[in-house]
Amino acid sequence: MSSLAPLDSQELIVVTGKGGVGKSAIAAALGRRFAAAGRRALVLEIDPRENVHQMLGVSPSGGEIVAVAPRLYLQHLEPRSVLDQIVRERVRIELLVRRVLNSPVYHHFTEGAPGLKEMAVLGHSLILVEGRVPGAPEMDVVVLDAPATGHGLALLAAPLLVSEVIRHGPIATMASEVARLVASTKRCGVVVVTQAEEMPVTEALEFVTLLQSRLQRQPELILANGLYPAVDQGVQRRIEDPVTCLWMDRRRLNEYQLERLAADWQGPIGEIPLLPLDRGPALTAALEERLEQL
Amino acid sequence: MSYPWPRLVVVVGAGGVGKTTLAAALGLESSGTGDDTLVMTFDPSQRLKDALGVGDSARDHEVEVATGSTGSLSASLLDARETFNRLVSRYAPDEEARDRILTNRYYRHLAGSLAGVLEYMAVERLYEVSQAGRYDRIILDTPPTRQALDFLEAPARIVGFLDSGALKLALRSWFDDSGRLRPTARLGRLGKRFEAYLDEVVGLDLLRDMVEFFQAFGPLYEGFRQRAKEVESLLRSEDTLFALVAGPGEEKIPDTLYFARRLKEAGYRLGPIVVNRMHPPAAESRETSPAVKVPPVDGRSLLTWLGERDRRGFERLVSLVDQEQPVVALPLLPTEPSNLESLSALSELFSRHLAASQVMPATPR
Repeated sequence: MSSLAPLDSQELIVVTGKGGVGKSAIAAALGRRFAAAGRRALVLEIDPRENVHQMLGVSPSGGEIVAVAPRLYLQHLEPRSVLDQIVRERVRIELLVRRVLNSPVYHHFTEGAPGLKEMAVLGHSLILVEGRVPGAPEMDVVVLDAPATGHGLALLAAPLLVSEVIRHGPIATMASEVARLVASTKRCGVVVVTQAEEMPVTEALEFVTLLQSRLQRQPELILANGLYPAVDQGVQRRIEDPVTCLWMDRRRLNEYQLERLAADWQGPIGEIPLLPLDRGPALTAALEERLEQL
Repeated sequence: MSYPWPRLVVVVGAGGVGKTTLAAALGLESSGTGDDTLVMTFDPSQRLKDALGVGDSARDHEVEVATGSTGSLSASLLDARETFNRLVSRYAPDEEARDRILTNRYYRHLAGSLAGVLEYMAVERLYEVSQAGRYDRIILDTPPTRQALDFLEAPARIVGFLDSGALKLALRSWFDDSGRLRPTARLGRLGKRFEAYLDEVVGLDLLRDMVEFFQAFGPLYEGFRQRAKEVESLLRSEDTLFALVAGPGEEKIPDTLYFARRLKEAGYRLGPIVVNRMHPPAAESRETSPAVKVPPVDGRSLLTWLGERDRRGFERLVSLVDQEQPVVALPLLPTEPSNLESLSALSELFSRHLAASQVMPATPR
């Protein structure tokens, strides 16, 4: 069975990992894969520097839900806008809405309240899959391109944190709904993207430990991205061929780190090779193909 | 050192580009030329800790590395939470004020969640150590930020956040001096709705924690603000130079240029731009455009493609920066440095390449 199979019935896939490991490209490729399999999929990006649109070959979404391909959508989300929307729904009087949104209390609160923005992002994903976003189709799955690992955990743990400090009202309700979603391995999947190098592997393993202790769950899959290809038996190491030497050395380093990862993590590890393609739709398509083969 | 590194060197750049290793290599070179040097870093890799021979004892402390060189080399691992607590203790007028902050529920969540705390604490610590004057040179490795600029904006952002003025003023109508909710009859209908909204949506418990925090922080604020100003001017002074580390390939160029420009615009001195982890050019430098078949990928043609990609990226970057801007290429190494020898080999390579670019840092106007 493909190690991606558990993801096929989940509604929210959180793709997390250290910066620079190719997380956004993997998130885009997963979105394509789900759409190709007949599910309505939305790739949700929250990094202020948009780049998922590049991976999918469309213009920046500017906050709107953009249709990319049949059944495939993209949205770049500013977490604050989710909170603003709650205020609008709740307060309803335009004068008061403006007064709240412009008030320094509100501003400091949304900036400073622990976990609030992260929780809002998950809350938005939840209402997307429940078809509760006005004017947007109901999504079968949301692929969330999460911030780098440390923050990735902050994201997943945010609903608990928010529930702790906000006890009642719409934010508290959202936080408890979201906490249930994230805790459910039936509904929510976590994919950790890493590279087979020391620091990324260390961080991936730390993330697994923290996820277990904070949320009592495991990721569905760890993807080791950007691997140098395996060295065929016939390849000779010759000092006058530094390119081949470098290939062999980096591959050995990859293999060593893959072993280290496998020693501490018993779940599935997907190996994704480094591909000779620049960031863009061609790379995303090639990655999708590789994911298909896992 | 042939390159005129000043007293403070700040190594900046995106995550995963090898900043920490380069900072350590620079430190090693600096101590080798007789300067007592400190390398300050965030949690580095185990490999690098092994290479430097420092462990958790270096957390928030300075530990000397046995190099056998003329100058001493010390390493210190930064701990943001400890630094923040220490600052609070320093600026609190008395123990009670200090404890009010340190035990505040909001403060306890704050240090981990507020963007920029880590960055601010890094410059804060840099200032502390540089004031103590024990070292001829300090090299600061900055935390990995997706946007390298976060690092520079952190002091202003944190001070702005702690500037309790705006918030206290805004909250005055809701809470009395002891942090208790005031009777709000005089606020009228609109005000009542607003308060009801606050309670319903955000919960007054949390707001009360926040108010308490900002009130407790009031007496410390002036000290923080003054300190942040001094840190800022230190970073902009002749004593400080920034080294910008970037990954290879054309994709990285916009980020690199953007950061270099913002540094200069903000009045910081930019030293070399280092393009790190470049794949070497293949011997038979044939043009490999998308013609490389995707599946299956043969290692040699992949490496050829990567070498070509990185060369193109480097040349393009050089063509886009000022002529006097040094841009140094460093190769992807077969393995990451794991002992002082390999670290020292890297630093030699670095200074050789830097000398070859033969351009000295410009003074900001």
